[in-house]
Amino acid sequence: MKVPVSLRIAALAVATTGFYTYVGQLVPQKEVHPPAEVAISKDMKPDEMAKVGREIMEGKGLCFTCHTIGKKGPLRFPDLEGVDVRAKSRVPGFSDVDYFAQSIYQPSAFIVPGFNPGMPVINKPPIGLTDDEILAVIAYLQTLGGKTTVTMQTKLPYQAGGNGQAAAGTVAPPPAGPTGGPAATTAAAPAPQNAGKKPETPQNPNPSPPQ
Amino acid sequence: MMPIVWWVALLLLAVQFALWKLRAGTFLWTLASWFSIYLFLHFGFTVPVPQSVISLYLGITTLATVAYVTSDRERLRNFTAPLVRLCIEPGRRPVLYGVAVLLPALAAFGTWRSMNVPLEAPAFGRTIHPAPPDSITVHDKPFNLITLENPYRKLEKSDPAAFARHLANGKRVFYQNCVYCHGDAMRGDGMYAHGLNPIPTNFAEGGTLALLQESFLFWRVSKGGPGLPEEGGPWDTAMPAWESFLTEDEMWDVILFLYDYTDQRPRAREVKE
Amino acid sequence: MMKKGLAAFLAALLGFAVIVGIATFLLRREYHAPYRAPAAVTQETPRAQGIADEKAEVEKRDKEKPYQEVEYRQFPKIGSRVAVWIAAQLHLLFAAFVLAVPLFALAIEFIGYRTKDRRYDRLAHEFTKLLSVSFSLTATFGAMLTFGLIILYPKFTTYLVSVFSPTFLPYVGLFFFEAFFLYTYYYGWGKFSPRVHLALGLGLNVVGTGIMLIANAWLTFMTSPSGISEKGALISTWDAVRNYTWMPINVHRIIANVAFGGSVAAAYAAFKFLGAKTDEERAHYDWMGYIGNFVAICAFLPLPFAGYYLAKEIYAYSQTLGLTMMGGAFSWLFIIQAVLIGNLFLAANYYLWLGMGRISGAEQFQKYIKYLLILVATCFAVWATPRSIISTVSEVRAMGGSAHPALQFLGVMSAKNTAVNILILTTFLSFLLYRRSGKTPTVSWAKAGNRAQLAIFLVAATIVISLGILGYFVEARVRIGFSIPQVLSVLFTMVSVTVIDVFLYRNATKTGEVRWGQIAPISQYVLIFIAVTFTWLMGLMGYVRSGLRQHWHVYGVIRDTSVDAFTPTLGFATRIVSVCVLLFFLLISFVFWLASLTGKKDWEPRPEKAAETERPGLEPVGAAE
Repeated sequence: MKVPVSLRIAALAVATTGFYTYVGQLVPQKEVHPPAEVAISKDMKPDEMAKVGREIMEGKGLCFTCHTIGKKGPLRFPDLEGVDVRAKSRVPGFSDVDYFAQSIYQPSAFIVPGFNPGMPVINKPPIGLTDDEILAVIAYLQTLGGKTTVTMQTKLPYQAGGNGQAAAGTVAPPPAGPTGGPAATTAAAPAPQNAGKKPETPQNPNPSPPQ
Repeated sequence: MMPIVWWVALLLLAVQFALWKLRAGTFLWTLASWFSIYLFLHFGFTVPVPQSVISLYLGITTLATVAYVTSDRERLRNFTAPLVRLCIEPGRRPVLYGVAVLLPALAAFGTWRSMNVPLEAPAFGRTIHPAPPDSITVHDKPFNLITLENPYRKLEKSDPAAFARHLANGKRVFYQNCVYCHGDAMRGDGMYAHGLNPIPTNFAEGGTLALLQESFLFWRVSKGGPGLPEEGGPWDTAMPAWESFLTEDEMWDVILFLYDYTDQRPRAREVKE
Repeated sequence: MMKKGLAAFLAALLGFAVIVGIATFLLRREYHAPYRAPAAVTQETPRAQGIADEKAEVEKRDKEKPYQEVEYRQFPKIGSRVAVWIAAQLHLLFAAFVLAVPLFALAIEFIGYRTKDRRYDRLAHEFTKLLSVSFSLTATFGAMLTFGLIILYPKFTTYLVSVFSPTFLPYVGLFFFEAFFLYTYYYGWGKFSPRVHLALGLGLNVVGTGIMLIANAWLTFMTSPSGISEKGALISTWDAVRNYTWMPINVHRIIANVAFGGSVAAAYAAFKFLGAKTDEERAHYDWMGYIGNFVAICAFLPLPFAGYYLAKEIYAYSQTLGLTMMGGAFSWLFIIQAVLIGNLFLAANYYLWLGMGRISGAEQFQKYIKYLLILVATCFAVWATPRSIISTVSEVRAMGGSAHPALQFLGVMSAKNTAVNILILTTFLSFLLYRRSGKTPTVSWAKAGNRAQLAIFLVAATIVISLGILGYFVEARVRIGFSIPQVLSVLFTMVSVTVIDVFLYRNATKTGEVRWGQIAPISQYVLIFIAVTFTWLMGLMGYVRSGLRQHWHVYGVIRDTSVDAFTPTLGFATRIVSVCVLLFFLLISFVFWLASLTGKKDWEPRPEKAAETERPGLEPVGAAE
């Protein structure tokens, strides 16, 4: 019985690959899945929203690339410790929610004295948080020095399709909020009222966090 | 009294020596060598070698034996000669019959043995020290694990008295919380250890603490079994997430204590160019 | 009468039973239209109107549908990931072959030109025979890969184009020149002056390497992006090209390509050897296989060091990436790799030992083989010892922890570095013994030379082993530094011992003839085994290089959001690698077969007898078997 050479070679090739495949099956088999997107549902309670918001800030939002919580000394970007207290009085006529919303949708509209503008528009790529995610982030920011008042039903004046209708009644539309949604306005165009109050250049060359 | 492993090794060497003295043929010698290695792997260690490693080593041994026997025509002839004689010489018929019975019997015995092992959870390879995340949040405070250092490690040189206080606090924390599983001497044999799978980490052996940085330990202590990444699974380690019970300082102190008690040093950080 | 009647009755009964049985069986299989109400009843409802409305609505919607960009499309059945994976792997394997063969064909041709030995020239020509078909296959799979990416991953492809657009035209241009050089080099064999021909070969190699460098930039960028802003916008294409892993991959790939090309060429020779009809053919193909394998092993020896360089740069780029590779999800892949590399070393040594069979007078070295083998097997075992051992609960309890008190020392870097260095030294020793078979040195300092060589070996081995042991007692930082003196001492040994050997055996008396072709046929299967193992290894390492990014297209920049974003199990990966390897060998054997056709005479009707006798003895006889 003589087996043709080509058949033997084929058998050898198949046996060799088969053996290595077998070795591949012997080692632990584990599938690694990408980290799950934070699930957001419309019926979250305020504390749940804050928790989710914190996760978004750590992950997708990339907030802690620049911002810190509880850091002292020279800073490049504002520290967020107790930020809710300051947010309530930062811009006259703005509630803390208004202020947070403006900071996120139009970061350059108001610059904290002593800092340079540098924050990207958060609801656009590459970060691209959705309106719901931003609500969760605001919910968390409010817990830093205050209590969460936003709900998942809160309509922010900047939201796509939202015409400044404060459905939940917690947010009054800002005096001259943009009406066309974030797609129509650019972050570089601040609301007229704020223009006068916006510092042209940082006064302090060695910036420190405002307290 | 010599440990039994030495006796096994000596016995195997004696067999090899006898074969050499008797000028045993290639066949006998090769077979004897293979079995020597098999026996040594099974009985030659005070702490038994896991089956998976034995199979790996035996596979390599088998490959090497085949390579040795077939790499020279002369040797191959010497190796096969006894087999050929066994098959064709009428005088060896009884032996041949014996082999004909023995081989299936061996297979049957192997089957019987493999079916008779006690019931046990299957072997599972989990990554013991999986890659840590870049940063974690403990008590709402973000920590960058890449640059994180034990804040009290530097006291060892600068302020020995304060360092001793931290050690004492670490000792208290260990004996109030960790001792039940990790054991009095940190050998992973505390009183609850027998009920756990995987068993608690043995800190006394040199292969764990010394290979890890303190930031890694801080991650493991604070986040415990639930904080393991997927590759560290299956998630049946019973290590609690201690951040719910201990303060940050307590965790750092107990880490100091672990190294101090086992007389080990944390792994130094690699310098990046 | 009664009996007959009864029998007839029973027969009839049986006959009916059979008919009923058959009929039931057939009817069960027959198609029955489901019951429908009579047409008159259904027509009364305005069903037709409803259908028409629905259709109109769909048409209207279709007309108003806006254009939307798609992020991903699905490949039927096997999915996008596997489709692109297979196309890329086959493209890479053929490309590696097409780049590698000219490298050593040129070297062999040059040797032939300098030594005026026609055998080398013919050998080089025979190697290049495999090129032209492989080149078209490379281009085919390259096109498949490109279209695959454009169709299946449009958004990601657009991003890559945005970063690398300036590199595409040079790539295409180089491709044109590659074709030009390749075909003039092959078809111009023996038609030009040797120098012109060598220059053509050089051009072919330069262009081929250029192509590879550009393609490497694209894929290394995906693992270690640079030259872009934090948000992924392009800052500098040149910076994107020379990212962290570009140079290491270039070095690693060139070396690995040569090793791979050599092993496949050796497999071709083995294939021809096994089918050879005459002793002359066998002698020729034995020699060819030997040269191919020699090239492969020479290139293989420095490969682990190139691998370390690459791993080091990956760590330097991102600690997380490095940890994922060596300590995380992929750590078990390196155990599989250890099995493959151990097999390669074992097979390479084995082939050399078998090769001693074709030299009379090699018997004096046979007694050493045992010890070489023990060394190889021990190092293999050390290298394959896993860091985290698979063990059952009772085994873990017996060990008192997840690490075995004795084996844990073998699982770490120190032991593995030492093992691979000793493996390389041993293989080199095997080669040296092979080289010396059947020769006796005549120079006056023969004894001293031998002693010097032995001393160098011992010193190198001592350095490697003592540094390996010392590695257990120092910090990781220092330990990593130890690998450099280890490697250097091994390299120094290989160079210095070879130099001594060359002078030692100059004008040596030949006590035995090299009888090419007089080698056990099993050696040829070893060559094929080496080629398959090598190909498989390339597939596996290609997977880890690419899979390392996990759920990113471009690590840290473009997230993979497709259904294939997860990292599959190693078992799945090895199955795909095996499919790629088998496909490659199926195609390459087709290439071999085509190459063997070129030597055949054109078909023409002629008497049977004449055809038998006219066949030139030395030409390849084809793969009819």
